[in-house]
Parts: sequence; structure tokens; C-alpha cells
Amino acid sequence: MQPSDISGHISKRFSKDLEDLRSMVLSMGGLVETQLSRAISAIVSGDSELGLKVAHDDYKVNNLEVSIDEECNRILATRSPAARDLRLIVAIIKTITDLERIGDEAEKIGFLASNLAAMDRPSDSYRELKNLGDHVSRMLRDAMNAFARLDVSEAGTVVLEDEQVDSEYDAIARQCITFMMEDPRSIKRVMNVTWAARSLERIGDHAKNICEYVIYMVQGRDIRHTGPDEWQAAND
Amino acid sequence: MPNASRKFLLGLAVLFVAGGAIGWFYDQLLLGLLIAALLALLWQIRHLLAFVNALATGDFGYFRDGEGIWQQIFAQFNHERDRASRHKARHRRLLKEVRQSTDAMPDGAVILDMNNDIIMCNKAAKAIAGLKPKKDRGQRVDNILRDPKLAKLLQANDFKREVEIPSPVDEDGWLNCRVVPYGAEQKLLVLRDVTERIKLSRMRRDFVANASHELRSPLTVIAGYLDSLAEDPELAEEWGHPISQMQTQARRMNRILAELLELSRIESSGPAAQDELVDVVAQLSAARKAYQQPGVSAQIVLDVRSTAQLRGNAGEIESVITNLVSNAVRHTPVDGQVTLSWTADDAGGTLTVSDTGEGIAAQHIPRLTERFFRVDRGRARHDGGVGLGLAIVKHVLGRHDATLDIKSKPGEGSVFICQFPAQRVTPEEPMPMASERAAT
Repeated sequence: MQPSDISGHISKRFSKDLEDLRSMVLSMGGLVETQLSRAISAIVSGDSELGLKVAHDDYKVNNLEVSIDEECNRILATRSPAARDLRLIVAIIKTITDLERIGDEAEKIGFLASNLAAMDRPSDSYRELKNLGDHVSRMLRDAMNAFARLDVSEAGTVVLEDEQVDSEYDAIARQCITFMMEDPRSIKRVMNVTWAARSLERIGDHAKNICEYVIYMVQGRDIRHTGPDEWQAAND
Repeated sequence: MPNASRKFLLGLAVLFVAGGAIGWFYDQLLLGLLIAALLALLWQIRHLLAFVNALATGDFGYFRDGEGIWQQIFAQFNHERDRASRHKARHRRLLKEVRQSTDAMPDGAVILDMNNDIIMCNKAAKAIAGLKPKKDRGQRVDNILRDPKLAKLLQANDFKREVEIPSPVDEDGWLNCRVVPYGAEQKLLVLRDVTERIKLSRMRRDFVANASHELRSPLTVIAGYLDSLAEDPELAEEWGHPISQMQTQARRMNRILAELLELSRIESSGPAAQDELVDVVAQLSAARKAYQQPGVSAQIVLDVRSTAQLRGNAGEIESVITNLVSNAVRHTPVDGQVTLSWTADDAGGTLTVSDTGEGIAAQHIPRLTERFFRVDRGRARHDGGVGLGLAIVKHVLGRHDATLDIKSKPGEGSVFICQFPAQRVTPEEPMPMASERAAT
């Protein structure tokens, strides 16, 4: 399936509706990507104002989710799409839920950033959070690119990448535990760091989900809850 | 009629006449004509087949020589074919050169149609923005470059504005995007890698902030000792004047540093919040009270035509007003007049500070908001200005989506106009209140 296939309907109007819907999802993705990268830079630079702004702006993501949802319902009701159009709509309905969750996690990170900005800062300015955050935003970006280009192989790479994010999260969690044992006074701050890392790890999971929907949309194959080996075997 | 055609017709006629004559001789006129026609047809078919064969094999040796009608057709055909292939080669070369030159450009260029679908993009667009020249053809560009700011720019079809978005391929990179009209029903999106520039300006900003911060602590010590020296009753008489001079200069330096810090803070923060309401009228009358010194300075007149309030940061708007008013008062003679006015309508709010002072020459106006810019280089800052006021005004207004307009003529005075957009101005309250307020 190619992006141009979506516009191959006899009813030009239907093609345009689907294409517009796809663009709306991608612009929601763009907004969420911006929110995430701002939240990360708020943590890294200790910018409490930016963190609060991210938290405040989450309503834009929510509004977009609602309007895309309505548009999907409208298309389902009036066009009764079949086959790959139906898969597209189903995938979009699921994707926006995950995007909205990512927006919520970014909101949470924004709040945590403004909390952390008021506390002592470690000398490395949360380098490990920055690395994890960059990794996760790359995953989200690749997931949205795979969605735009209907690129199964790119989606597959993101799915496999999630394991790395999980292990990075484990490392941060272990490091945080060590800090807390060394200096109980830092517990409050380190808890915030752990929560931020946890949110980033969750974002990685959501990005992975989006890629699974892309594979479903293009190939009609459901690879959820299957191991990476099975997926690769099916893809070869 | 061309020569070949005439010859051809003549040949045909001779053939038919000969066939007819031989037929007539044997008393079989029709048969003779028929045989002549058959011969002519055979001759044509042979040439036709040879021509088709020559087209298929590309070997035109059979038609090369002679002046018959088929040779003529072939010559014409061959000529056209050669010309077409020469044209094609030239176009191909030209296209290759164009493509090479667009690929050699350091800036990414993406050709879009009116729906923002990608028609073509060059190599740099691939390198700095992650576009895939083949795969993304026909895709909307904002599906790939998803930054909300760029999407807004593309939808607005605004050919003057540029936006800076984080690079999609490099975590710390920045891209400058601009849209220019291009051909019929097309647009060109130009992407430029401005990572270095952004880094540099950030470094400069950080440097100014850090340097001012570092200079502050030694200055505090110096000023502290100067203060205690000045109050020392055992101080020799001749030290009184130098120490008070030093105190004045130390205070001035302190003010410069404070303003530099303020400026770098304003510069590094984004747009001002909209939820705080600023009472411009109250601030204008407060500024009048603070700077009005009858007999010493020019007269300050309030001209308030609206009670609309501004959405923004009260402290920053206050610094805009005090900076503009103190400038105006400083450059206006005692018998002059400074007018502060505030008007609002559907298009937004306008804050104007005009004076009847010495005015500014036209060539200096564009540079007025530069840091430490001086109209008269020889003149020391006796008048107490720090040289950062208008820079602060400019940046605060930028943070409030507003613009600063300066109009001035030497000898006639200057007008400073701050134009706020409609979304920054609250709807107006009833007018009577305004006149009451203005009267007090």
C-alpha cells in the first residue's frame, strides 16, 4: 500500500476526506512531538516556565483528539468504508488514543520539570533523562514518519527499538535507587526524576503501539503481543 | 508541387499509358491497365515494407540515395528524427545541470503545489530535513515536517514570514523555513540549517547574562566600600568630590548591569502570557506623575481615548512606558510638550509617546533599538541614559506580539508608536469612565 493508494477512490470527495483525516492525525502527531521535545528541554534546562506552558498546552492535543474522533465517526457512518479504508480508520482511532496518552505523559513531564526546577540540580543536568528523552522522541518521530509514508520496515525498527528504551529506563531506575540509598534527603527530587523517566518509557510504549497500528493498516496483520522473532519471521 | 511528386505522377502516367498501349495493341485495353496498376501497387508495397523494415532495424541504407518520393519521405523523416533526438539530448543535459545545481545548493528546496503536496525536492532537503525525494512525492509536506509552526506558515501562504523549527534529523539542530511563490500554482519551501546561528546567538545571550552576573558581585563590594567611605566623618575634604563621583558611576554601572540582565531575560523567554491584565491608563498616569517636574522638565499631557486593557506582563509594559517617557522628557526642552496617548479599536491598541524635542535624523532611526547605540558618538551620556532602554522596549513589544514604529524629524520632535494586535487588547469599557480617569 502506498500513500497514493488512499487517493484512488472513484469518489474524489471520499479520497480527500481520508487524506485530510490522515493529515489531521499527523498534525496532531506534530503537536505531540513539539510538546514532548519542549517538556524534555524544560527538564534539562530547568525552565519551570516552559514546563508549565507544556502542561497548560495539553488541552490543544485533547481538542484535536476529539475532533479527529468525530471525523472518523462521520466517515464510518456516511461512507461505510471497507477493506483498507476501514483499516485506515480503525488504525487512526487507535493511534489518536495513543497520541493523546503521549500528550498526557508530556504534560506530566512538564509539571515534573517545574517541580525539579525549584530543587537542587545535579552537575550533569539530568543527562540520562536527556538521552532517554531524545531516544523516545526519535522513536515517536519515526513512528509518525512510518505512519505518513505507510512504511512497514521503518515501523518494524521502532517496534524493535522499544526494548532498548526499556533497558535504559531500568538503568535510570537502578541509578535513582542508588542515589536515594546514598542520600535520603534527595529522595523527593530523585522520585521526580524516576517519574519523569517512567513517563518517557511509557511514551516509548505508545510509539511502539502506533507502529503496530501502521503495520496493521498496511498489511492487515496484527502483530500485537507477538515476540519480535515472530514478527521478523513473518516479514522475511 | 515538389519535384519528386511531379516525377512520381509522371512515372505513374507513363506506366499506365504503356500498359494501356500494350493492352490496346493486343486488343485487351482493360487487362493492360490492370497489369500496370498491379505493377504500381507492387512497387509501392515493396517500398512500404522496406520502410517499415528500416524503421524496425534502424538501417536506412536502402533509402539513402536517389530522388524518388520514398527517398524524399525518408530524408524528411530522418531530418526530423535527428532534430528531435538532438533536442532531447539538449533538454536532458539541461535538466541534469539544473538538477545538479539544485542538488549542489546548501539549502533544502522543496517544490510544492497549492495543496502543499511535494512535487520535487533536492538532496539538501533530504540531508537536513529527512525528506525522501522519491518516496515522498505526492505526500503533503506537513505530513513529514510536522511542526505546528510550519503547518501554520504553509496554510497561511504567508510569503514574508519565516519560522524556525527544530530539525527532524538532528536533536539539537534548527531549520529556518520560508515559503516563496514559484511558478504557476506552485510554492517553493526553502529550508536552511541555522543550527550554528542559533547556537551562536544563544552563546552570546548566555555570555551577556553570565558576564553581567559575574560583574555584579565585585561591583557590590566596591559600591559598599564607597558608601561607607562617603559616610566616614574623618575623610579628608579633598576626597569628598571624587568619592561622590565614584558612587554615581558605580550606581550607573549597577543600573547598566541590571538592564543587561533584564534584557537577556526578556530575550530568552517566549511570548508573554495572556492571562494577566495590564491597566495601561493607570500606568500612563503613574509615569506622568513620576516624570512631571514643573519648571524643570517639559509638560506631560495625557490623551487617553480608551479604557481597554492589555493582556500581558504588567512589569514589562511598565518598563516600556517609563523608558519611552524618560527618553522623551530627556530630549525635550522645558518649554516643550510630551504627549502620552492610548487608543484602541477592532484592529488592536496603540500606545503613542510623542514629544516636541530635538528629533532624530532619518539615518539613525533604524539603529535606535540597538544596544548602546548613540546618535551622537561624541556626546557622553551626561543625561543619565544607559543606552539599553529602546532595546528593552523592542524586545518587550516582541514578546507581546507588538511592533514599534518610530517617526521623527530633526527639530520637530519624535513619535514612538507601539501597535498591539487585537488579541492582546480587551474589549473596551464604556467611555464616560475614560474621561473621568483622564481628568484625574
